[in-house]
Amino acid sequence: MLTLFERETLNLATLNDEQTAIRVEQLNLAFDKKSVLSEISMRIPANRIVALIGQSGCGKSTLISCFNRMNDFYPQCRYEGKIIIDGRNINHRNENVAQLRARVGMVFQKPNPFPMSIFDNICYGLRLQGVTQRRQLDEAVEQALKDAALWNEVKDRLFDPASVLSGGQQQRLVIARALALKPEILLLDEPTSALDPLTTLHIEELMAQLKKRCTIVIVTHNMQQAARVSDYTAFLHQGRLIEYSDSDTLFTTPRKKQTEDYITGRYG
Amino acid sequence: MDKRWFYPWRNAAQRQTLVISLCAFFTAGLLLGLVGIILLIFARGGGYFWPEDIYEFGLPIDNKPEVRVFGEFQGSQGLASLGDKSARYWLVYSHSNPPYKRRALVAAHRVQNADIARHAARVLLHDGRTFLAKPVFLNKHDERGRVLDKLPAYQQQVQRLTDQIETIRDIHLGPLHRKISTLTLKDSQTNSGELLAGKRAFERWQSKVIQLEATRGQYTLTLEFADTNTITVPLNQLKQLVYPGQLNQVEKLWLTLGNIWQFLSQPPQQANTAGGIFPALFGTVLMVFLMTLIVTPFGVLAAVYLSEYAPRNAVTTAIRVAVANMAGVPSIVYGVFGLGFFIYGIGGQLDEWLFGDSLPAPTLGTPGLFWASLTMALLTLPVVIVATEEGLRNVPAEIKAGSYALGATKAETMWHTVLPMASPGIMTGVILAIARAAGEVAPLMLVGAVKFAPNLPVDSEFPFLHLERQFMHLGVLIYDGAFHSQTQTSGASMMFAACLLLLLVVFILNIIAVVLRNKLRKRYQKET
Repeated sequence: MLTLFERETLNLATLNDEQTAIRVEQLNLAFDKKSVLSEISMRIPANRIVALIGQSGCGKSTLISCFNRMNDFYPQCRYEGKIIIDGRNINHRNENVAQLRARVGMVFQKPNPFPMSIFDNICYGLRLQGVTQRRQLDEAVEQALKDAALWNEVKDRLFDPASVLSGGQQQRLVIARALALKPEILLLDEPTSALDPLTTLHIEELMAQLKKRCTIVIVTHNMQQAARVSDYTAFLHQGRLIEYSDSDTLFTTPRKKQTEDYITGRYG
Repeated sequence: MDKRWFYPWRNAAQRQTLVISLCAFFTAGLLLGLVGIILLIFARGGGYFWPEDIYEFGLPIDNKPEVRVFGEFQGSQGLASLGDKSARYWLVYSHSNPPYKRRALVAAHRVQNADIARHAARVLLHDGRTFLAKPVFLNKHDERGRVLDKLPAYQQQVQRLTDQIETIRDIHLGPLHRKISTLTLKDSQTNSGELLAGKRAFERWQSKVIQLEATRGQYTLTLEFADTNTITVPLNQLKQLVYPGQLNQVEKLWLTLGNIWQFLSQPPQQANTAGGIFPALFGTVLMVFLMTLIVTPFGVLAAVYLSEYAPRNAVTTAIRVAVANMAGVPSIVYGVFGLGFFIYGIGGQLDEWLFGDSLPAPTLGTPGLFWASLTMALLTLPVVIVATEEGLRNVPAEIKAGSYALGATKAETMWHTVLPMASPGIMTGVILAIARAAGEVAPLMLVGAVKFAPNLPVDSEFPFLHLERQFMHLGVLIYDGAFHSQTQTSGASMMFAACLLLLLVVFILNIIAVVLRNKLRKRYQKET
């Protein structure tokens, strides 16, 4: 157990707006006519790690994609309800989605470095934001790579193609790429499911350090991982939020039968 | 009857062997055909440059039983070396009556009796004509019968005279002529003294040129045909004199290389049956280049729209099918379209708006390089669109998602990530387009390619690239040569040589594109 960065547990029911990174209110989402998420309401506390668990198809990846509106790419996807980040409802149709995605970083299951050099991969987001000065970019790249605990491994080959890195390094590179934009929120969609246990440990340690500077929402299938790294855990089942509490409580004394069945491996 | 006779290949392994053998057989046949074509073109095209030996023959010509001629072999009918009595050879020979070049079929046994004429030469004139004759003596002024050893010295003297004439033309006559024309145009009394002086100077220089030309004309070479008739050629008309019978293989090879260079760098002569093909080569490459510049952005943008932006409905599908079908439209239809729409339609309309003064003579509404490139771009557009769409489809969705997740808009994602990764696919399309465009002839003849163009489309005159000019094309030259070859002795060899060159051009353009594509592929290859 990582105890080094543990903080006082907040009461989720009484979180005020300053302590909240994401507030979800009555979120309903459907693909065509098939309901995927129904009536999700939750507050995600700032500078904490929140894990979303649940069996495949329960809607956890869809929910995490709602936080930076990646679901917009499915034309058949319809949603209603509010998601409030920084006091603004990001589901509003006037929301600048590109700016939102720069503030809410996302890392996917499979490492997806661009076919460019390590340096250019990290500069990608910054350049889109209009940062062109070499010195600024150099500093940002170094900082992002240090934040992602990758600097020592790649500092001598920043201009090699990103494809020469190993899987775990690539995933950290992708995290560094997102961190370079200094996001408030980092969404991790099963970030370690394609990695070996040792690399997974690297990434988990990294997450524990990162929560100092941003809020992390992680989707995982790995119960141990959820228990190890997260401060809070939400259990979803068939598109509904069944139980949401601090991880210790949820994994030791779940209130709902369905949660208990899932975490003890009776289904899922 | 033995039942096994019907099932000789009952064994599965044997049946498989049969299938494989059949496949191999047909593939081998295909390869053989391909190699055959290439060998024919290489042999006939390459032979055009090789100095063949000259033989002396007796032939029945013009009702005379036997006339001696110089000739060279150009292919055969039947196989004389296997004892085929009816084998004959094609012979190209020179005769003292014009036209100096003729062609005949000669029985093999007569050929075997023929001797190599060591003192006969192939004479190439500056106007592109060639004939075979034996140089006998040089003449200068009234002194006849000088020895041939002096030929190089005489040629130098003639060259010096030619240089002098050219210098006078360039430095004195040209400027004087321009000055006189401007003065005449002004038509004022004040200029009359100046005009008179100019005219007098012009006449003085002209008489000097005439005098020099007369001196030059006195240097001549007398040659003898095999029937002892002679012909006298002014030395300034003589371009090349080769004695194939006195050359060894290395010298012949050297001469061949020289001929190839001449072929590549000189304009055609004698109605495209002699000389070089430089304007056609230049026109072909320039047309393909312009076409590539036009078709690439159009094709790529169309493909990006179709695969990334267009709504997925029946209309898009219909457009896609239509694009794929466009690739199968006969090329002459594109030619007619180019003529009707681009030249008469757009060109005619532009003439009305911009060059109304010069109508009815068209300025832009005539076939020209730009219209030809545009027509070819239209013809190759489907190829580029289909290949680009394929390339776009192969870009992994995770990469796109990664770009969006970093705050990129759709256009930014396209420009920074998707298009670079699809570039090998785009290059494939461009390669196919180039290969198709370089080989097309039919539509070009309607929209701008001509048998003979007096000027290159690029020169030192502003605006340097003349898109409205007609141009020469290798394919048209081959077509022209092929028609000549049915009625004349010359033309056929030139046609094969041009074929060879066209193949090489397509080949080189393809290699450049393939190398470029492989470079891109290496750069954007995704390691998994």
